Amino acid sequence: MTGPTGSALRLRGVTVRFGERTALQDVNLEVPRGQFVALTGPNGSGKTTLLRAALGFLTPDAGSVELFGSEVLRLSVAERARRVAWVPQEENPREDAPLLDYVLYGRYAHLGWLQGETARDREAAVRALRAVGLEERAGDGILSVSGGEKQRAILARALVQEAPLVLLDEPTSHLDIAHQLDLLSRVRELSGERGVTIVAALHDLNLAARFSDRIVVLSRGRRVADGVPADVLSEELLARVWGVVADLRRDPRTGAPYLLPHHLVRPAPSGPGTFLGKGPVHVVGGGGSGAPYLRALSEAGYRVTAGALHLLDSDLETAESLGALTAVEVPFAPIGDEVRERLRTLLEAATAIVVAPFPVGPSNLPNLEEVRRLLGRVPILLVDRPTGEEWDFAGGRARALLAELRRGGARPVAGAAEMLEALAAEPAASASQ
Amino acid sequence: MGATAEVPTGTARGLGRRPWVLGLLLALLGVGVFFSPILGTVSVSPDTVLRILLHQVSGGALFSDPCAGASVPASGCSGLIEIVWDARLSEVMLAVVVGAGLGISGGTLQGVFRNPLADPFLLGISSGGTLGAAVVVVFRIGVSEQNLLLPLFAFVGAIATGAVILVAARSRFGSVETLLLTGVALSSFLSAVLSLLLLYSPTGSLQVDFWLLGNLGSLDWTQDGIAFGVVLVAGTLLATYGRELNLLQLGPDVAQSLGVDSRKVRVRLLLLASVTTAAAVAFTGIIGFVGLVSPHVVRRIAGNDYRLVLPGAALVGGGFLLTARDLSLVAFPGTLLPIGIFTSFAGAPFFAYLLFRRRGASTMGTP
Repeated sequence: MTGPTGSALRLRGVTVRFGERTALQDVNLEVPRGQFVALTGPNGSGKTTLLRAALGFLTPDAGSVELFGSEVLRLSVAERARRVAWVPQEENPREDAPLLDYVLYGRYAHLGWLQGETARDREAAVRALRAVGLEERAGDGILSVSGGEKQRAILARALVQEAPLVLLDEPTSHLDIAHQLDLLSRVRELSGERGVTIVAALHDLNLAARFSDRIVVLSRGRRVADGVPADVLSEELLARVWGVVADLRRDPRTGAPYLLPHHLVRPAPSGPGTFLGKGPVHVVGGGGSGAPYLRALSEAGYRVTAGALHLLDSDLETAESLGALTAVEVPFAPIGDEVRERLRTLLEAATAIVVAPFPVGPSNLPNLEEVRRLLGRVPILLVDRPTGEEWDFAGGRARALLAELRRGGARPVAGAAEMLEALAAEPAASASQ
Repeated sequence: MGATAEVPTGTARGLGRRPWVLGLLLALLGVGVFFSPILGTVSVSPDTVLRILLHQVSGGALFSDPCAGASVPASGCSGLIEIVWDARLSEVMLAVVVGAGLGISGGTLQGVFRNPLADPFLLGISSGGTLGAAVVVVFRIGVSEQNLLLPLFAFVGAIATGAVILVAARSRFGSVETLLLTGVALSSFLSAVLSLLLLYSPTGSLQVDFWLLGNLGSLDWTQDGIAFGVVLVAGTLLATYGRELNLLQLGPDVAQSLGVDSRKVRVRLLLLASVTTAAAVAFTGIIGFVGLVSPHVVRRIAGNDYRLVLPGAALVGGGFLLTARDLSLVAFPGTLLPIGIFTSFAGAPFFAYLLFRRRGASTMGTP
């Protein structure tokens, strides 16, 4: 793209307030030309506000927004339209119009006063409709096509607008999975073939990771993470920003990261009908010692997490059957750094920790070490161990750790019933979040 | 590429674009204007009327004695010419101009507020304009310059009402319902003020129905000319905003992202529609429903592209009011009843129909 110079989009210290609420707080962001940026974050994190500021729809309380080197608010409305196109989340036209006309609306900023659309404009519109697979539907009314077709028509309109920057606000939120993939593939192509810069607000992190060059995460109006998808997406980020515990996996074919969201560690900011259950309560076990406690907790309405466990451990099977999130190590190996990191996430998300009477060896000793880190922060329950049975295979270190836990305030319980009683007495542990 | 620009035309209602319909409407209106002076409060034979019209239009070249064979009143042929040309034709032209002004205003307001029920009468703009004009009459302001002061005060009243509507539409309660209810409340309030003003005026209560129900009579070419000039200028300006109105139907934000300065354009259009309405009602009083019905008729027959809807609504509005005048004279020969009675007879049921249809259809959300 020739024309104006500078980054496609640059925000400098942008703050936007709506009355008492701060929607954006001192946000800096620079988007070079040709990049596909996915803008993500929980509801109310400021994604839409950022896009609206970029479009010049609102005046920031502080800071400035530049499009290709010029402050957006100093540009005429028509000049803005020549630099940036918008695909809104939802559009409710009041009058029916053939798709071809709807796409031709995108030419408005390029036409003079009272100048009609030329054959060139119409050809461009037909080409754009073809690019989104709607050529055959050019004569159909916008009010009669499906949601996916409407979104594609709007994308075609953005194409004929010939703006070097396209902003998309949750373009896929009303689409089924096939149409989500279809639309984003087309956007991706657009970015690749024409060098158009894309900034797309996307809820779906997996779609964001798959299609974008870069993920920018907003939380409560601040930019909290920014980078290539592989660096940005992490279980820790999900727990921190969205309050969701998730498994991070890698697509074996592409190597792209993807997340399997599991459950919430804290209530979603708002919205009725989110029944979360109590907990989560983390159970440290192994060799079948944790199973009775996992089941008892689950039956009592707690969400449970478990680990670290070795693959093929019967406790792992129980935990997975209960839908628990787990930290898993390969059989017989000592708990490695990655699994330990995951265990830490689970423990930090837990409202209480139950230590089952599991045999401790050097390979699973880190379980107790990690539990110790949380002493005084969450209630820790230690299930009594049967006397006369050897369980410390770590040369006394396990006994020492257990004693340390007890001294630090961990509470011994005799069995599952007493564990539930103890949890019920802990408002923080049993609160329905 | 080449022939790829060939696209199937829409089949759904309102999708096709039929600009030729406007030519047809214009021709029909011309025919109506030519033949309508046949009807009047005093009896003049049709062939005499048409001879007089042709005589006048040709500058006296045709029919050197247009009154030949007719029963000529005491004032002679010039008296007949006065009746047909100065009284009837100016009345006919006023009907067309007022109807056109209300029609194009209605089309504009429906587009600006994205609301099929918007209309200068229902939103109170007509009442505001009429109140402004009535103030001039009741308080006898500048009696000799009334032809200028009437429209001027009408502009003030209409624009002030338009401003209130705009504020109501912008508030966070600016739903379709709020807008209409604000308009209806304003309209009733302004009509009440108008009635009170007229009842206690020295000119007496006879004026009330003139202003509240609309009247085409007792006007001359000067008033016609003023109304015509304003409606023509403001209406032409309005008609140039067809494309912007098309884009505004996508919502003000989307329109802005496409290059339309939504706020500026909406204010400008509301102002122009208020001025046009004021020019229409300044000499005639409130005439309801013309602005509501006309744009819908055009959408049905010419398509819903605002580039056609606006000029089309002017033509249909002019034809509507002219038809109302003619029907009034056919139904009640010898008197010209307040014209607003007839437009309301046709318009009120149509309003109810639109309201009903809107309820029946799945609502498209609020603006």
